[in-house]
Amino acid sequence: MYGYRCKKCGKLHHPARLVCDKCEGREFTEEILDGEGTLLTYTRVHNLPAGIDKPVLDFGIVQMREGVCVSGQLDIDGEIYTGMKVRATEGVVRVMNGVEHTGFIFVKA
Amino acid sequence: MREVGIVGVGHTKFGKSDLPFLDLLGAAALEALDDAGIKTGEGHCVDQLFVSSMGASIQNRISGSASALVDSLNLRPAMAECVENGPASGGSAVKLGYMAIASGMCDCVLVVGGEKMGKGKEATDFVATMLHPEAEYPYGLTLTSFAAMFTRLIMDKYGVTSEDLARIAVKNHANACHNPVAQLQKPVSLEAITTGPDMEKINPPVAEPLRRYDVCPMSDGAAAVVLCAMDIADKFKRRPVRIAGIGQATDTHCVANRAVPTDLLAVRLASQKAYKMAGLTADDMDCAELHDAFQILELVESEEAGFFPRGQGHIGIRNGETEIGGRIPINTSGGLKAKGHPLGATGISQIIEVVKQLRGEAAGRQVEGAKAGLCVNFGGFGNNVVATVLTKD
Repeated sequence: MYGYRCKKCGKLHHPARLVCDKCEGREFTEEILDGEGTLLTYTRVHNLPAGIDKPVLDFGIVQMREGVCVSGQLDIDGEIYTGMKVRATEGVVRVMNGVEHTGFIFVKA
Repeated sequence: MREVGIVGVGHTKFGKSDLPFLDLLGAAALEALDDAGIKTGEGHCVDQLFVSSMGASIQNRISGSASALVDSLNLRPAMAECVENGPASGGSAVKLGYMAIASGMCDCVLVVGGEKMGKGKEATDFVATMLHPEAEYPYGLTLTSFAAMFTRLIMDKYGVTSEDLARIAVKNHANACHNPVAQLQKPVSLEAITTGPDMEKINPPVAEPLRRYDVCPMSDGAAAVVLCAMDIADKFKRRPVRIAGIGQATDTHCVANRAVPTDLLAVRLASQKAYKMAGLTADDMDCAELHDAFQILELVESEEAGFFPRGQGHIGIRNGETEIGGRIPINTSGGLKAKGHPLGATGISQIIEVVKQLRGEAAGRQVEGAKAGLCVNFGGFGNNVVATVLTKD
């Protein structure tokens, strides 16, 4: 999973953008996001959409140590709480039309 | 710029419908045309038709709905287009109708919105297609997921409780009992959905901390309005309700990218634009229809629209200020929670409720002496919002 750092001002984005929302820059360098972050908020979802074959699934919004905030799935046993430290891993989050889509799956740091 | 009014309204009963999508639209359209006293066929006065729907092409496998409807209604050769802006499609279509008349290009515009949502996991997935196609949707995230995470932030920051959200649902269900087009015309008690012995069965968790009564139902339905230039309004059967102000604003597509995650910035900006255009303030509003797809949204929108200071909306709910008879009645129609939420119809349906309030036709739920009202139609998870101010002429 990548962040996209503006070549002009250095702001890190996720997902990719066409234009930097800080300096209007249009060129970015990819940067792997696999470090630690802080869980800002979370939910356990019981009414999942078609294509997710699980009874429940946990999701969260995480502020990465680099500053950028991202959404992702959570794979955490036990208590989940706001402010907990998590670590980004990459995994298959969904299979759509036979294609595996990868994304952030956060685990306990 | 020409001034624009509403001279006709039509609304199907929301809920499960067996009518095909185009017939559903047609039922609302004909009711609106009849309300305005407009005859179809040769010599009709409709210059333009807009059809709003988020997902007819996805859920009903129909594209070009406006072309089909304009012919079926015998309104050829009027101009016709479809409008898609997620759950804010209806508000956007009315805005475009306003622009068509204000510009001088049209005298009379018919705006029809509708949706046949389907049900279950497939419908949930369809609604989620408005999320970011890489950073949100593939994860299985849904609008309800984001509403739940937003709720947790608001609860932590401002002390809002699950009971506060339940109070909003109780109010909206009570209002819907007096609205013949509402989907859920049944009252619910606060005890039953918070502490009652059957609470877990009646009100199970959906996306924690949200439960069933914190979330709107899946709905089919359609709504339609006839817009006209105010300078020709005396040609129609009904006295016009003036569209005094329209504002629209956008925010980050990804919810995680919001600068202040507890704000609904686009609601604030759209409302402020609409008030400014109307030359009015939040204090001048006698009622409001706010987009309560989730009860937390009614609460925070009521603050962003200026009815309560930030973080104080739940105090107003506890005090009954948003009930009919209160300081600022909100969602007298029953809101999306109890009236229902067929996405493409919702923005138009909200406007129709305020039109009925200003006409004095909201029997059983009338806000006495209402002269002005606000509608907030919320697209995405707040990334595209249309606000409309209506006034009694």
